[in-house]
Amino acid sequence: MLSDREVLSTLEMLKDEHLDVRTVTLGISLLDCASHDEDRFREQIHAKISGLARDLVRICDDVGDKYGIPVVNKRIAVSPIAVAGAPFSSGQLVNIAHTLDMSAKDVSVDFIGGFSALVEKGFTKSDLALIEAIPEALSKTERVCASVNVASTRAGINMDAVYLMGRAMKAAADRTAQSDGLACAKLCVFANIPQDIPFMAGAYLGVGEPGAVINVGVSGPGVVRRAIDRARDADPTLALGQLAEIIKRTAFKVTRVGELIGREVAALLDVPFGVADLSLAPTPNVGDSVGEIFQSLGLASIGVPGSTAVLALLNDAVKKGGAFASSSVGGLSGAFIPVSEDINISEAARRGFLSLEKLEAMTSVCSVGLDMVALPGNTSAETLAAIIADEVAIGVINRKTTAARLIPVPGKKAGEKAYFGGLLGEATIISVQTRGGSENFVRLGGRIPAPVQSLVN
Amino acid sequence: MISILGTDRPGIVATVSRILLENRCNIEDVSQTILQTEFTGIFIASIPEQLQPENLLTGLQRGLEPFGLHVLVKPLETTGKPPVPSASEPFVVTTVGPDRLGLVAGITEVIARFGGNITNLRAAFRGGDDPKRNTMIYEVDTPVDIDHKAFRQALRERAAALELDLSLQHRDIFEAIHRV
Repeated sequence: MLSDREVLSTLEMLKDEHLDVRTVTLGISLLDCASHDEDRFREQIHAKISGLARDLVRICDDVGDKYGIPVVNKRIAVSPIAVAGAPFSSGQLVNIAHTLDMSAKDVSVDFIGGFSALVEKGFTKSDLALIEAIPEALSKTERVCASVNVASTRAGINMDAVYLMGRAMKAAADRTAQSDGLACAKLCVFANIPQDIPFMAGAYLGVGEPGAVINVGVSGPGVVRRAIDRARDADPTLALGQLAEIIKRTAFKVTRVGELIGREVAALLDVPFGVADLSLAPTPNVGDSVGEIFQSLGLASIGVPGSTAVLALLNDAVKKGGAFASSSVGGLSGAFIPVSEDINISEAARRGFLSLEKLEAMTSVCSVGLDMVALPGNTSAETLAAIIADEVAIGVINRKTTAARLIPVPGKKAGEKAYFGGLLGEATIISVQTRGGSENFVRLGGRIPAPVQSLVN
Repeated sequence: MISILGTDRPGIVATVSRILLENRCNIEDVSQTILQTEFTGIFIASIPEQLQPENLLTGLQRGLEPFGLHVLVKPLETTGKPPVPSASEPFVVTTVGPDRLGLVAGITEVIARFGGNITNLRAAFRGGDDPKRNTMIYEVDTPVDIDHKAFRQALRERAAALELDLSLQHRDIFEAIHRV
């Protein structure tokens, strides 16, 4: 027999606190579609994706109905296209991006990730072709997401790739100037990219992964926030150690939901279950915000002094709860701070609490990085590259994933608003302390060697 | 089977079990529940061959009626073989909304029509300051071959007619979230 509390608190999490499964992502290897013939390659990837993912949306909805937990997004992650499509030119890779887009549309998923390259230690010809293709591919397709891993703790930082990505971001933004540089919202530059992220825009299927796999992204910032508020209402004397325990327990519950649903979807699709990624991923809805958690823990706003410490506590407690709940925790698992996608963080940026520098500091303890940060349109490719270099350096030295998803909003200045729509939200453009000071450094190129932290064997 | 019903007070189970012991009856299974002020208990006990159920009833009544408790003694029907439970899956139906005449009858009619067996039913919350937040929890075993879409639809329609907010969820979600 279930206790009343078990039933009622579950209902509360669902109805009032936005508990959901944020994404079920089907990973599909495209390596067996390889061909020198572009048409044949495109035919084969379309056939493979539409075959394997044909029932993905229906099954996710059925399983969501069965447990009363909505599966908000259904997505697909494929093998890095720079590997699967190694023989092709950048023009051909743009055509392949169109095929990916069409395949996603055919099976009704909103994003398909994997227009990706892994270049932390150097480029193949196809890596360069893919990076060159990114601006056009992202501006001409609707659902394709791209990611490029430019650094790792083991390899160091490929500064040539960092510079190329600064230029790719700039070009992608310019090609989508009418929509405030929307293409950049579908582009992530990584250090230490995990092979099994279910969340976009960074999802791709690593080459060490199975032929097909289900990875699940669970969220729930609203659930965590309400748990903290309830506990503090009941006992205002609670200290941070006790509040960390409450966050940990809540993270446990949320992860269990994801794993239950992920395993059932995987079984029904007859593919293995990969990982549950518990990431506090906000949406632009009130009550579904990571920023609000900072306020529940006593800060006036995310961004004020104390924010990095709060984020460190939050990220760690989430990981601990997730690790206890599932032996298959993976992906990013922690707290995201995407500026435009979180109404509270976006507001903190508007009110001036949150600078680029404070965001960067916070990314040293969050689970991803500079995420959905709108920058002035006149930010140069070199400055973008330098920001990326700073961000990936944090990841490389701290043996963690970091990423940059930056949007230099064409024609707009700091303080103006950028509008991306839907889950991507809107954000006030924040200023960049730049006086052309990074160009010479960025143009040096080459590779920043792997740090001493890489010598672990 | 022995059923006891009446206003709760300390010592009911002690008195019943003492009388059963005095009659050399062995308690094989037991369950009790208290609803607001009312106690009900069910005892399944084996009784000696020479003891007639009527005599046991008389003994229990003599011991319990001074406390205002009612007693029922009934032989268990045994067919020789234990019943084979039909294959089912456990679901939980929760309704939230104003208390009204016919609420339970309305929901349980749908459950029964689809062959669901209610294994537990309780009013979890009686609204407190807000009588519109009356909450009922039905634990239901549903046949494995049930048409889930039709069942869900029928429940939703009935709930809408009764102005209730209804959830239908597989029981595993509650266990996954709350139990290690």
